[in-house]
Amino acid sequence: MSSTEQGTSSAAPAEPTTAPESAAAPEVPESFYYVHGKDKVVHKVSAGALQHSALIHGMISNLGYTEEQAKANPFPFENIDGDILQMVVDWCNQHKGKPTPPEDTNLPKQKEKLFDLVLAVNYLEIKELLTYCCKQVAMMVKGKSPEEIREIWMIPTDAEDEAAEKEAKKRAGKEAAGETAAAAGDAK
Amino acid sequence: MASDLENLIGTIEKLSIKPVYDTNWCDMPAEIKLECIGKMDLNERLSLRCTAQAEKSLVDSQKIEFNYGRFCGHDEGFFGFVLYSDNKCNLWKHLYNKSETIGLMKYIKNVGVFENLYISFGNLFADNEQFATDDGLFTAKNIEFRKCDINNIISVLNKLKEGVESIKMNGKMSDDLSQILAISHIQNVPYWHIEYYNKTDSLRMVAQMWIETNSKIGSIFQVSVKRNGSFEEFLEHFDDRIVYFQVDKSKDERRVRIRTENADIHILLERGLDDSVAIDFADEYFRLMVIPAEMKECEYEDDCQEWICKIDTEIYEYDSDNSVDDYDYEDYDNYERDWYDSDNDGWNPDNY
Repeated sequence: MSSTEQGTSSAAPAEPTTAPESAAAPEVPESFYYVHGKDKVVHKVSAGALQHSALIHGMISNLGYTEEQAKANPFPFENIDGDILQMVVDWCNQHKGKPTPPEDTNLPKQKEKLFDLVLAVNYLEIKELLTYCCKQVAMMVKGKSPEEIREIWMIPTDAEDEAAEKEAKKRAGKEAAGETAAAAGDAK
Repeated sequence: MASDLENLIGTIEKLSIKPVYDTNWCDMPAEIKLECIGKMDLNERLSLRCTAQAEKSLVDSQKIEFNYGRFCGHDEGFFGFVLYSDNKCNLWKHLYNKSETIGLMKYIKNVGVFENLYISFGNLFADNEQFATDDGLFTAKNIEFRKCDINNIISVLNKLKEGVESIKMNGKMSDDLSQILAISHIQNVPYWHIEYYNKTDSLRMVAQMWIETNSKIGSIFQVSVKRNGSFEEFLEHFDDRIVYFQVDKSKDERRVRIRTENADIHILLERGLDDSVAIDFADEYFRLMVIPAEMKECEYEDDCQEWICKIDTEIYEYDSDNSVDDYDYEDYDNYERDWYDSDNDGWNPDNY
């Protein structure tokens, strides 16, 4: 058999064979981003975990970057308290690539923390976590009377609301009058 | 690439200017409050709407689904509300004050989306202006009236949103059928029935209404009548429209089919007769249907038990599993009750 023939022969369609394991496509290494809250503590989060956040996911989709660049430029969420961002990051990592369970019992019971978490989660657009949080907020007033709810959630009565509004208007009026007087003084 | 990342960071910085630090319910955006309200049971919603006007507006804008709602006026002068969500009782309340009752009903009516709604007012609101002038609408798929004044029935039927699939009523209150037939929901509902009707005019009147309104194929009316003569009155009235008339003496089965102004549709009247419901049975059961004109006789249903059971569940001691109709909402004690009426439950009529 000539080399040409050999060549022709080798060019013919080969029988399908099972590729050896070593030849399998190597797994793409997971990419990571870095975020920080008001306390500037940087959290490393995988792109998979960040998929829970529609806000971040929408921003980083198809963004090319190096690990070094990402590390050097953590995403700044200055409006979110450090421990709240930590909770969010933990939740995203915990539920990375997993279907979310019907209940989540690990949410903070403390009112202030829960409300901060709700607002952060709403800002970051993490739909499933927002659902859990809202359920937890609703549970805070389970079986409570209007008076108790008002106390728990610091809801002012209509009379208190009106008084506060009047006060604010009065203050704004005074400030405006002050500014007008100052402007008139400057003009002279 | 690097510049993309820098741009993104700049964007996030700009977005992050408004601090997310307020921990007060009142500072939460309305859409989050609504999301939270959506997770609350009725009891908590009622309490929250009593806290402040702004909360009331929010709570009132959020719908709540009920499997079953029961509004009952009692001879003893009190009014009972029973509401089920997810087959769990979340309101079971008795009120003695008419104004309070209407206030609560108004709220429930406006926010409730009922799968099944049962109304038995008695004479409680017959002459009540507050009830009559309230123009809010009930949203219900299936509605049943018992012990209701005719004015109440008409009033409630006129306060129903589109989309009702079945209407059931009791004959005692159907004295003036023509008033009821004039209501658009009755004219358009796929299924409705009257139980224990005590006159013989229902079949001809309903068929006449269907002819006049060119009713849709599939519309069904059923009636149980406590006296003889409905079938005969129908035959006489539509004598010139009859296309088919069957009296099978061996089975005592009766059917009559009439033409309408629309060449594509006929109306079929059937009397329910079988081993349990004999010809000399005290009550007569009828089904009236709008059918396609091309429907063949071999397509008629021979078994009348199923449709008779829709109007009289006891006659065959029929028991179907998982049927909503058979869910015994009256047997309250067998179900978990989250809340029972008490005088210090936060219910404040001044807020309604």
